[in-house]
Amino acid sequence: MTDAPKPLESLSRRDMIAATAAALVTPLLPAAPVIAQRPARFLTPAEFALLDELTELIIPTDEHSPGARAAGVAAYIDGRLGESLEPEWQARWRTGLRTVEGLSRELHGKGFLEGTADQRLAVLTRMAAGELDPKTPVERFFRELKWWTVSGYYTSKIGIHMDQEYKGNVYQQGDYAGFDAK
Amino acid sequence: MDLSKTYDAVIVGSGAAGGMAAHVLTAHGMQVLLLEAGKRLPIEQELRSMEWPYDHPRRGDAPPGSHAVSFNEYTVRRPPYAKASAFRHVYSYVGGWGGSDYVKNILVDEKDHPYTGTRYAWVRARALGGKTNIWGRLALRLSDYDFKAKSHDGYGEDWPITYADLAPYYEKVDLYLGISGVKENLPHLPDSLFQRPTKLNAAEVRLRERLAGMGRVLTPYRAGVTTDGVKHNKYRTKCFGRGACGRRPGGCDIHAAFDSPTGLIYPAMDTGRLTLRTNSTAYEVLVDRNSGRARGVAFLDSETRQSYEANAKVVILAASTLESARLLLLSRSRQYPNGIGNSSGHVGHNFCEHVMGPGVTGLVKELVGKPHTLDDGRPGGFYVPRFRNLKDRQPGFIRGYGFEGSSGHSMFPAHTMETPGFGAQFKKTIRDYAGAFISMGAFGEVLPRYESHVDLDPVEQDRWGIPVLRFHYQFGDNERKMAEDMVTTAREMFEAAGIEVIGVDRDILTEGWSIHELGTARMGGDPKTSVLNQFQQSHDVRNLFVVDGSSHVSASCQNPTWTIMALAWRSCDYLADEFRKGNL
Repeated sequence: MTDAPKPLESLSRRDMIAATAAALVTPLLPAAPVIAQRPARFLTPAEFALLDELTELIIPTDEHSPGARAAGVAAYIDGRLGESLEPEWQARWRTGLRTVEGLSRELHGKGFLEGTADQRLAVLTRMAAGELDPKTPVERFFRELKWWTVSGYYTSKIGIHMDQEYKGNVYQQGDYAGFDAK
Repeated sequence: MDLSKTYDAVIVGSGAAGGMAAHVLTAHGMQVLLLEAGKRLPIEQELRSMEWPYDHPRRGDAPPGSHAVSFNEYTVRRPPYAKASAFRHVYSYVGGWGGSDYVKNILVDEKDHPYTGTRYAWVRARALGGKTNIWGRLALRLSDYDFKAKSHDGYGEDWPITYADLAPYYEKVDLYLGISGVKENLPHLPDSLFQRPTKLNAAEVRLRERLAGMGRVLTPYRAGVTTDGVKHNKYRTKCFGRGACGRRPGGCDIHAAFDSPTGLIYPAMDTGRLTLRTNSTAYEVLVDRNSGRARGVAFLDSETRQSYEANAKVVILAASTLESARLLLLSRSRQYPNGIGNSSGHVGHNFCEHVMGPGVTGLVKELVGKPHTLDDGRPGGFYVPRFRNLKDRQPGFIRGYGFEGSSGHSMFPAHTMETPGFGAQFKKTIRDYAGAFISMGAFGEVLPRYESHVDLDPVEQDRWGIPVLRFHYQFGDNERKMAEDMVTTAREMFEAAGIEVIGVDRDILTEGWSIHELGTARMGGDPKTSVLNQFQQSHDVRNLFVVDGSSHVSASCQNPTWTIMALAWRSCDYLADEFRKGNL
């Protein structure tokens, strides 16, 4: 059983984040055991923590709306990776996250999460430098990371309702949007 | 169902054409058997039109192991595209759109349905209703600019009908199924009998006004959607502007958008005269050895592969342009060694469709930062009808093209990956700009050419052991010149309206991309150069009809579904009359 309950002490930071995100996106559902709701996993706790921070740096919480962390984007990506049948795609993520760590050590002599806020920003800025025409492995990984962060965030409850304030997917009563063609 | 009896008519295929044939013939009192190769799906459960992305485990994506053929794969490889694929299921490019989980049982698995030859993005739906379950809903009429195109520019053949012949049937289709739009009084894009139109948003209103000054038109999407309701049909309801059709590859779980099952087939079944057999893969039109007439259809049960024969006095093919041609070619016999109805040698030839790809994306600066509004609660955005080669003569190409476009807010914000950067500024930019984009892409008429054709591959077979189609089809110089002009005019229209052009697509998409394949068994007055007469009746076999898009003589640049249904209605009126007189 891959989804068998784990001992309580294995609850890591990512589990807490996933649990928080789950609570945020399903406020009307009765509380369920946190562990049973966890998606399939692929990343290690350290990799997950790194991904979670990267997604939040790409779409942070601001005065308008919560960001990617609150929207559970890393857990969504990890879930997709966990159930994927494409080992090459999974490996690309593992390698990509390792490349981010490597870049951080190269620039600052320490891992990404050990760096200061400014140092993290510097690493991500370097990753994003070739965004429109990525050439290096880390630039290519940034494209993939950004796409999955964007797609995970703007399909989340927070992204759709709080950030975009999307008005559709409702039965309109006749007060239809727009102007008549005259 | 009873296969020992002889039906008045057997129809192969349950899409727009087959559904219409079933409706019209049962209304005339005929006993009809309808064969569909795919399943009858619990379509509302498949579509789940109102499901939020976050309520789906993969945000609407198909399960692991599924793969959609990408533009790049279509470009660098040749069919069969799923050959030796490690994926469990391979779908056409439509299976790569957002919401692929909702159409995975409607689209065919390319692994089961290979084809060979030149590159072609062939989108097929094997399910009751076929592609009408997910069609794009743009419902346009053709005009004498299309039916008499040869008389206008000398190329190809005129249709054996005029607009006046078909207009009463367009009206019947409008009234029976419902269509939304605005009257524009254009001779080249005749108006329908419209129900309530959908609205335009600010960017579209501005473009409409500026285009009027250029002698061009922007009109609200003419949608094959009932916006006021069709009270005679208990299976459908009016459109409530949920926008579900635009967020997905298509489909409408309340059936405001036309689909063949609820619009045509279920009401026909309610007459008590329609027998439906799904999971029935037709592979041959059966011929009476003495008379040479069609006597029925041989088919396999798609699940058990057991072979059956259905007997009927009239055989009607409506399996789609390419599948109907395949079926004619497969039906070889002593009398018809080249395939039934093919004495002309034109079956599979004169294959045409729409060329697409070129288009523009623009930014309306005044809309940046405005509050988010409900812009996608409609079945489509706008349409810019053809304006080329009506009164003018373009030096580089003949025929014309129209644009489909959209703008404003949608559930998923526009232009995210084209917006560089990250962080708070990126997030704010996405939010501020989400409703300020407008885009449109062209659909152009592809010329029918004799050499553009399909035939049967001598080796390759599908999962049921039936020979598959081999494509011999490529865009030509007229299409390439037209595509260049599409880019030029799209830019000039946006610029005239003060819309900043921020993206230009110049590439032509792979042949087949428009999903508007037409013309493999064309109508005509001369049995030597055409397959069918003006009533879609075989010149060679008078109780054989082909009522789908294969009968079209030229592609026009207008989307074909409404014309397919109007023609099928007209032909089936004729068929029923001839049947009553004993002429079939």
